[in-house]
Amino acid sequence: MCGTCGCADPANEVSMTNPETGVKTLLKNGVDHGHGHKHDHDHDDHHHEGDDVPHMHGPGGEIISLEAAVLGKNDKIAAQNRGWFQGRGVIALNIVSSPGAGKTTLLESTIRQMKDEVEITVVEGDQMTANDAERIQQAGARALQINTGAGCHLEADMIAAAARSLDPQPGSIMMIENVGNLVCPAMFDLGEKMKIAVISTTEGEDKPIKYPHMFRAVEWVVINKMDLAPHVDFDEETCRKNILQVNPGAKILCLSARTGEGMDEWCAALGALQA
Amino acid sequence: MHELGLARSIAGIAQENAKGRPLKEVRVAIGPLACVERGALEFCWGLVTESTGIAGVGLRFLDADGDTFVVRELEFMEEA
Repeated sequence: MCGTCGCADPANEVSMTNPETGVKTLLKNGVDHGHGHKHDHDHDDHHHEGDDVPHMHGPGGEIISLEAAVLGKNDKIAAQNRGWFQGRGVIALNIVSSPGAGKTTLLESTIRQMKDEVEITVVEGDQMTANDAERIQQAGARALQINTGAGCHLEADMIAAAARSLDPQPGSIMMIENVGNLVCPAMFDLGEKMKIAVISTTEGEDKPIKYPHMFRAVEWVVINKMDLAPHVDFDEETCRKNILQVNPGAKILCLSARTGEGMDEWCAALGALQA
Repeated sequence: MHELGLARSIAGIAQENAKGRPLKEVRVAIGPLACVERGALEFCWGLVTESTGIAGVGLRFLDADGDTFVVRELEFMEEA
């Protein structure tokens, strides 16, 4: 493979596999992908891996070493958010899942169950509509909807604006319901105390190993729709095993936001975050 | 399509640090756990730099460890 750009890295292949026949078809590999950069470098193909000192470079143009984090701007705002939340004693939680796992229903049930105990505010992230924020309001909590338009995730500056607008009370919990997506939100720190993934029994037991980046980024995993488990042949043990395979330290909570099963344990765990 | 936003960030970092000097290539180090699709990023790079001060500047990827995702080096055009 090309060690310079990694373009033939097996990890970057796009392939199609027929599970019945086991036949794997390569749809795209790095070598023949036609991207524009040249590999015939005029400077002996050395990479300066770990070499952070700015330096001149032979007969060609100057090269400067940067090591600038691409998401540095987001990470900086996230760090400011984290300080803002800590200074006010607000627990911010970044809730992630695929669309339809039941994040909003879980939040509605949580708000109804905990409303006499602690203030919960909610920031809703969706591409379009304010439906979710309306549902949260009807459940009795203050909420803001962020519509990301074409965007696939929330970013720290959106949370900075939402938090200032919601102005959560000291000692409260702010739930950030991210855009339903198990890929991009893993990359973007919002300044939360932790990420919590919600998966549902109807999605199958192998979600955690299909989307390992996300399940590695979270501290808790909620398995929702446990009331449907018998009807969809959901194997809880296998699911737990898959979660722990990618994230051995994950705390796993099984519940049904619809029937209330397991909600006491979830609410107690949330309450304990304040202590 | 978060690669579009990432390409914008890379372009911003490159322009900020180039301080107006003509750039030849931007080198970005990406680890296997960075959740970045190189092909998509390459595609977006062309779009976001089009008709800007860094149009035509190359984007090259360097292998790195873990979730590394940094603009590692800027190469400038040879001084005339």
